Amino acid sequence: MRPLTEEETQTLFAKLANYTGNSLKNLIAPIDNSPNGDRYVFRLQAQRCYYVRLSLANLATSIAKDKLLSLGICLGKFTKSGKFRLHITALPILAEHARYKVWVKANGEMPFLYGGHILKAHVGRWSEDCPEHQGVVVYSMNDTPLGFGVTARSTQEARRLDPTGITVFRQADCGEYLRDEDTLFATS
Amino acid sequence: MAPSRTSTVKSKHASKHAANKTGIRNSKTASKPTNDGVSKPKSANSKRTTSKGAPQKIKGTSHLATLKKKRRVYTEKELGIPALNMITPIGVEKPKGRKKGKVFVDDRESMMTILAMVNADKEGQIESKMMKARQMEEIREARKREAEAKVAMRKEKLDETKDGLRKKRKRSTGDNGGEEKRESTKSDAMAGTRPLKLKKKTVSFA
Repeated sequence: MRPLTEEETQTLFAKLANYTGNSLKNLIAPIDNSPNGDRYVFRLQAQRCYYVRLSLANLATSIAKDKLLSLGICLGKFTKSGKFRLHITALPILAEHARYKVWVKANGEMPFLYGGHILKAHVGRWSEDCPEHQGVVVYSMNDTPLGFGVTARSTQEARRLDPTGITVFRQADCGEYLRDEDTLFATS
Repeated sequence: MAPSRTSTVKSKHASKHAANKTGIRNSKTASKPTNDGVSKPKSANSKRTTSKGAPQKIKGTSHLATLKKKRRVYTEKELGIPALNMITPIGVEKPKGRKKGKVFVDDRESMMTILAMVNADKEGQIESKMMKARQMEEIREARKREAEAKVAMRKEKLDETKDGLRKKRKRSTGDNGGEEKRESTKSDAMAGTRPLKLKKKTVSFA
């Protein structure tokens, strides 16, 4: 387990900034104002990046590297080429700081949770002025985060789209907790 | 800088030799051939010259000081010359004076700066995307309007021609018989086959 290097931090933030706005800085803000107060840090363990409280990360140093399975919130994993891939486990953090949102109607929830892209017919509402290929967080109509994706069209273009046209490409959905159960938390 | 330095050193040597030759002619050092002096290390030579006289001593010490400064020998490491005189690929060469291994970012300030940079970058990207989308939308609107105008014009033209054709048909069925008769009489008169009935006889006095 180790902290991130400069490059890794940059790629991680760049990826997170696709989905979040300026409020991302609250992610690393100290929990309390005392000089040695606890704060959240990023830790890398077996190519996976975790968002952990510093006190917990310090405690975790007493566990052997190969025995440590997981700690804190897993944000995703660094590929061997140095890119970062967000996991569905990062959804609570993304949903909290999301910039653009898409709400899916009840009839579109299941197709999305089974790994499908979001069609125009399934969109209940969406954030205005959203550009093309921008990260969005997908919610159900009662504001429960279901996953995240990337817009296929800008909001203006999507209005002209036919109902069967894809508006959001799926990146991760809550169905992965079941579908990828074997690989989601296993390190090997 | 370097060439000027070497030139000064040379001139000093020359002056030293000149002093030796003129000042102490009978001494052993003077009788020795000049080649011998050159072959010996220069520091020894300068020491010998300093031990001769009081006025020269001051000069000699100053020379020594300057020589010592000039004589600094640079090691290959200091000069940064590659060990073998060949091109080293960029990836292979390791930067000097930097920490070995990874540089971790764990303090809040540096993380904040990285975050601010990334955020600014993303903002710019989104902004440019929006601008582009808006421009494209405007162009699309303009094209749509143009196409609509063209369609409307074409329709108008078509309607005109249709109307024209309808009028022609009406003429041909209703008024066209009388007109044709009139035209035929006129043409006959022009040809001279039939006299014009309309012409009246008149009398004129010269």
